[in-house]
Amino acid sequence: MFAITGDHIEYILHDLASRGIRTPDLQQNLVDHICILIEENLENGEDFEGYYRSVLLRFYREDLAEIEVETQFLLRHRQSLILLSRKQFLFCLFLLLVAPFIGYDLLWLIRVGPAYDYRIPLEVWGGSMVFSLFPSLIWLVLAFTPERFDPLLPKGAKVLLGWRPFLSVLQSPA
Amino acid sequence: MVYSSELIKGTLKTIVLKLLADNKKMYGYEITQRVKEESGDRIQITEGALYPTLHALEADGLVTTEVEYIGKRVRKYYSLSPAGKAATRERVKEIAAFMQTMTALLDIQPKTA
Repeated sequence: MFAITGDHIEYILHDLASRGIRTPDLQQNLVDHICILIEENLENGEDFEGYYRSVLLRFYREDLAEIEVETQFLLRHRQSLILLSRKQFLFCLFLLLVAPFIGYDLLWLIRVGPAYDYRIPLEVWGGSMVFSLFPSLIWLVLAFTPERFDPLLPKGAKVLLGWRPFLSVLQSPA
Repeated sequence: MVYSSELIKGTLKTIVLKLLADNKKMYGYEITQRVKEESGDRIQITEGALYPTLHALEADGLVTTEVEYIGKRVRKYYSLSPAGKAATRERVKEIAAFMQTMTALLDIQPKTA
């Protein structure tokens, strides 16, 4: 088994960088991969540079920078962080729809106290409906659109609702 | 017969995720070798396809990493995050359904023993 030294690693790192591999993590991954191949297939005293160059050929079609380009491409076109299924999304919308009724009317009941007869006046219902208007419209459209015609949430689609968008909303200027 | 890279490209993320689900943590070279072994040499993941995919999975939060130093070199181990476990189940289900559809679409008769 060939003994890889620090100088060999420096040589490989420098060569990878000169061939267009700029992402440090990617460099480290490739160095480790190449080192394993060298250790497994080369004996001490054999031609390190020659074997290294022959091994490198199988990493690409035209040039090594393809791996860097592909990595950057995939990082730019990342998939969304998926947390909610279609059903869960509709359920959340439903909660948004009923929350004003529960919250606003409960507040009103607490405010008027137990002496009142608990019949909620029309204006309180009206206020709750205003808060529920947008979620209820979205819910109605999505819930009654057949999945195969659904323009927003096709069958099996997932919805982006991670902590990053949530944080960005909190951090955005008022 | 080695499968074409076009066929493998669409399933690579799922293959990697499933391997990580079955094995606690793995590094790049180990993944290529395991796929080769388990597929009977019919699927050979190239380094040029594997590492960009691993970086994308990491950026998506589906895998977590830890490093081990071997002298001056760094070995990066990948393991599934909780989101990765959920995504693996979804993707495996999706591929199973896709294979059923393709079997019907291409009129492939399943082999009987």
